[in-house]
Amino acid sequence: MQHRRGALLVALALALTGAFALAAPRPAQALTTEKATARPNEDGGSSVIGGMDTRLTWEGTVEPGEEVTSVTLTLPEGSTFDHSTTRITALDGLSRMDVTGEAVPAGDSITVTFDQAIPEGSLLRLEITNMQFPSKGGDVVVSGSYEAADGTHDLADSPAIATIANTPLQSLVNWLDEQPWVEAWNSNQFLGMFLRPQLLVTSFSSLAPGWLLCLGIVVAAYPFAIALGLLFAMLKISKWKIVRAVAVVYINVLRGTPLFLQIYIMFFGLPMLNINIDNNVLGIIVMAINSSAYLAEIFRAGIQSIPQGQYEAASSLGMNYVQTMFNVILPQTVRRVIPTVTSDFITAFKDTSLLSSVGVMELMMFSKNLTTVTGNITPYVAAGIFYLIVTLPLIKVVGIVEENIARSERGAGPRPKRRADIADNADALVGKGAAEKNGVAEEGVARAVVAKEVAADAC
Amino acid sequence: MKLSSRFAGGLAVACALAVTIAGCSGGGQTDTPSVTDDADQASYTLVEDGTITVASDLANAPLDFVDESTGEAQGFEIDLINAVADKLGLECEVLPAMKFDTIVPLIQQGGRADVGVSNITITDERWEQVDFTDSYMDSNQGLVTRADASAVTEDALNVEGTKVAVQAGTTGAAWAEENLPNAEIVALDDPVVAVTGVQTGLYAAAVADLPVMTYLCSNSFTDCQVAIEIPTGEQYGIAVNKDNPGLTEAINGALAELEEEGYISELEVKWLGAEL
Repeated sequence: MQHRRGALLVALALALTGAFALAAPRPAQALTTEKATARPNEDGGSSVIGGMDTRLTWEGTVEPGEEVTSVTLTLPEGSTFDHSTTRITALDGLSRMDVTGEAVPAGDSITVTFDQAIPEGSLLRLEITNMQFPSKGGDVVVSGSYEAADGTHDLADSPAIATIANTPLQSLVNWLDEQPWVEAWNSNQFLGMFLRPQLLVTSFSSLAPGWLLCLGIVVAAYPFAIALGLLFAMLKISKWKIVRAVAVVYINVLRGTPLFLQIYIMFFGLPMLNINIDNNVLGIIVMAINSSAYLAEIFRAGIQSIPQGQYEAASSLGMNYVQTMFNVILPQTVRRVIPTVTSDFITAFKDTSLLSSVGVMELMMFSKNLTTVTGNITPYVAAGIFYLIVTLPLIKVVGIVEENIARSERGAGPRPKRRADIADNADALVGKGAAEKNGVAEEGVARAVVAKEVAADAC
Repeated sequence: MKLSSRFAGGLAVACALAVTIAGCSGGGQTDTPSVTDDADQASYTLVEDGTITVASDLANAPLDFVDESTGEAQGFEIDLINAVADKLGLECEVLPAMKFDTIVPLIQQGGRADVGVSNITITDERWEQVDFTDSYMDSNQGLVTRADASAVTEDALNVEGTKVAVQAGTTGAAWAEENLPNAEIVALDDPVVAVTGVQTGLYAAAVADLPVMTYLCSNSFTDCQVAIEIPTGEQYGIAVNKDNPGLTEAINGALAELEEEGYISELEVKWLGAEL
């Protein structure tokens, strides 16, 4: 009896609401769509790719005087919610309410039924992980329906989510995903964590701009560093005490403090003085100033390693200080410091990684972002490979140059052509013995190496 | 004679050593299993016997941060994990600060830390990599700008050329990427650097967990403000390796006890100024 009455009541209520809905102007939505967003799932990019797992976040507010018991979200055909997991959050202001529910995916729609009605005024958030948008891409609108106390209503369409079709790179990654050998490789924890093939592929493509920026910064900084370094090297061997003191302070402060600190001071300090410089330019400036201090020491040591006899020889030819420096001393210094300068270049190139801490979009920054999204260390390994592309050849160059210098210092090895000519001409003109006797002046110009060669010849 | 006395000395030292070692390992062996037996829970493994090793970024005051004067780890979560360790009869060791985005991979990898306690929001993506204990705190996101910034809205920030700083790998970073797609998102090591950048004008805004942002703006960065409180209702959990379900269970038990005893509410008052 009671049952029948209950059923009757329900039927009556339904009929009434139906009539009401038809007759009256459509009432305001009980559940207002706030927004729908998707997590970017492009490896190393910021696009949402269709046909690949991503996360949809949908938010709506329950209007005053209403309650919502269930929500169905529908996406365009080709999307899928199968195998997805759903996280339900209901908030009253900032405080979280204890709401649970069950999500039932069915192809391109998903129905979330709550164990208790979501009360008025609350913000409802559904985060659906591992769902896919249509693989052809395009703007996707989330529609659907909800169940309130007065029956089922359609949801207002969400703002469109921009998605794109698959990229060739992503297809390659997806292909790798399916290979059994890749799976076997990744099942080794170490290999999977540090050398995951899929991530190596995406890292190489997405780290490239960071690598170019690193290279750009250090290549742009280095000429300035060399000029500054030379200047301070000269100041440091100056006759005047005050000038020397300035150079010593500059060099020691910069060499004695971490680059990290210098970066912080420049990047956070200058804007406070209302000096706003582009981040990349600021990076170049910091790297140039830091390297200049090391280069100054290298040049100073190089200049002082040239024997006193060279200065005496030059002055005996009537050269002044500047002439001596630029025609006799520095050309010899350059040869001697090339290996050390190259080493410093390598260090400076690697040190650009510190710029990532202040938001310069260089190699480490890209790797960090990738690691963040993937929870995998492989992007850092890829970054390491990028660094090696530059540093390995340079290390090789240092080796070759050092070898050559060592050989010529020993007096062995091929003679530099022009210098050999001078020696030969001298032989032809005045004979070996005369050349040796009058040698002092000649040697001064013809550099220490030739002097040694002549001496060797005499022996 | 001389030789034999030296020999005897050596023997004595060796004996002492042996006793000490035996004592140590004996203590360790009896400790851990007895605890798990008492609590009637599945057994678990630890990186170091008798000690729960904690990975944290120690850059999120007042939840986990470093005391300026002593250099010790402190905060809501540090107190909490110490209490959990007490309940389990274990020592608690907090590893030196590490970058946030490396903590979940580190726990997933195993071998260096047992748990990750670093206001880690429980998300389904992270759950694929590690297990989470029950949540110990609800949280939201906060967007910080300079206090003198004029009316700040999401739309005003979502334009080309605006720089928004986040902590790499956080839910705040994910929120910014998803909701401010036109802005340039700059991922930094910790929220303090992010807010420092906002203070100096390097970035227009910074997004991170609301309790942290509130604390930073009211303590260290008084010329910044929490301009937008972003209701996300996320929940923090302790990350545990997937091969160590016993530990997750044991911690859940301890957390439930602490909740019941009112210790968690006490901690909320102590570190956040009010019960949540």
